[in-house]
Amino acid sequence: MKPLTARQKTLLWIWAFLLPCILVLLLFYLVPILTLVYTSFTKWDGANPPVFTGLTNYVNLFGANDFKAAFVNLLLWSAIAGTLHVFFGTLIALILFKEPHGWKFVETVFMIPNVISMAAWAMIYRFVFNGSYGLLNGIIRTFVPGFAVNWLFESPYAFWAVTLTWLFYAVVVTLLVLGDLKAIPSDLHEAARIDGAGEFYITMKINLPLCRNSIGTSVICAISSRISMYETIALTTRGGPGNDTMNIPLILVNAINNSKYGYANAAGMMMLLLGIVLLVVVNKAFRMNESIY
Amino acid sequence: MDTAKKTLYHLGVFIVLLFTVLISIFPIVWVVVSSFKTNAQILSSPFSLPTAFSFKAYQAVFKQTDFLLYTVNSLVVSVVSTAISIIIYAMAAYVIAKYDFKGKDLVYSLFVITLLVPAQCKAQPIFSLIIHFNLYDTKTALVLVYLAAGMAMSLFILKNTFMSIPKDFSEAAWMEGSGFIRTFLWINLPMAKSGLATAGILMFLGNWNEYFFAMLLTTSPVNRTLPVALASFNETYSYNYTNMFAALTMAILPGILIYSFAQDQVTNSLVASGIKG
Repeated sequence: MKPLTARQKTLLWIWAFLLPCILVLLLFYLVPILTLVYTSFTKWDGANPPVFTGLTNYVNLFGANDFKAAFVNLLLWSAIAGTLHVFFGTLIALILFKEPHGWKFVETVFMIPNVISMAAWAMIYRFVFNGSYGLLNGIIRTFVPGFAVNWLFESPYAFWAVTLTWLFYAVVVTLLVLGDLKAIPSDLHEAARIDGAGEFYITMKINLPLCRNSIGTSVICAISSRISMYETIALTTRGGPGNDTMNIPLILVNAINNSKYGYANAAGMMMLLLGIVLLVVVNKAFRMNESIY
Repeated sequence: MDTAKKTLYHLGVFIVLLFTVLISIFPIVWVVVSSFKTNAQILSSPFSLPTAFSFKAYQAVFKQTDFLLYTVNSLVVSVVSTAISIIIYAMAAYVIAKYDFKGKDLVYSLFVITLLVPAQCKAQPIFSLIIHFNLYDTKTALVLVYLAAGMAMSLFILKNTFMSIPKDFSEAAWMEGSGFIRTFLWINLPMAKSGLATAGILMFLGNWNEYFFAMLLTTSPVNRTLPVALASFNETYSYNYTNMFAALTMAILPGILIYSFAQDQVTNSLVASGIKG
């Protein structure tokens, strides 16, 4: 065997350095996704080999009441996430950008809900919405004595209670938009002021359009979090009352627990596909591939 | 702006920011305060302050549950997984940032596109994979699954870090006869500290807080991590709210502590996780 040249040696090292990462990619992404795609067209219980059944799982999924409810919930949640949630985060970013008194404190504190476990957050909200000693009812009772609504377990409140566990926690949106705002060349603002533009005009006509990319990214992040929202439902309402707060991951986990693996993977495929559709649509809508400056 | 308008504007800003601060910390403060109240006090009024300051509930949580074990489990799984992934991703990010080779773009885009895959959609295939490897209900399973979780973001952060290190340092090292590994370990790795810290904290927090796969892949209490244990306390403490609040307080404290010590890294990693999209 010929001795390796320096270049070949380097190349060998390069691939040696990539190998562990490639293994993780194969084992925990490529293999699972191929399994996901293939077995979503099969009947499979884990014990026996999968049997090809065509679109049966998908037909059953689309016909199931819990999936229909989950899909409607997801549409509504996505609409709220893409508008109100992103709006609130952007509003905070616009305020913090002006660096009012205490802005650093607000930014720091706004982060806290994002650094603790979603499971713990769900438990906290279980108590906030508790019917007898909960925080929310405590506040309401100071105005309306004897008020008693069990927010997480009564229709139609449960849907909105679950919504409130994430609605205002938009720090990711704030940080993303803030990053874009800080990148705007300051002479642009000066020029506008010299031309007599007011602050409101500058915000609407200069700042917001230039934050197109981060707002688009925020919409994608916000909605994809809704597609995979699990803990805040599973540890509070478990999808109920009825199917009021059902979401696709809950259907998926139920199917795994019932050894309906093919069906579980059809639900998984729906999550994957919805995520891709979301990405394509938002990219188009916000023209995110075109450069701004 | 005239004075009235200006006052109104400042009032509006104040109200919005106050609201933001309140919704962010009030629920947490309420949980912490409640953990020092008696059950009767919690039930009678959600806003009353504790009359006596005692850590009884905290002691009770340690005595009645294996809280320490769950904490150690969480710590072991998070630390081991983070350590291994930091090494794996630093190696990959290094060669992607510093070398040109055939197939580089393809490999990097494959790594980064994993970000589009919601972790939950792979639940069943990973469940089967772990059973196939005979690792169901082990901490090893969680370590392995968590390895993959931070892939795209860590590579993104680390690649940028390595790219910002000037090539001159590596070239000087080569001149002195330093080999591939030495140049990586002794020249580039020490200079990538900030990126490594950011990616490390991001992954550690993610692992420490992870619930979904921990719930799916473990059953016995010996392998239970803190977030899963917390959910199970719900039954243990269905009528002892003080203890439940104490357990909750202890479970959320580490995350907040890490954040207060490494605020910039946590913030940066969060921003990076958004930019990726």
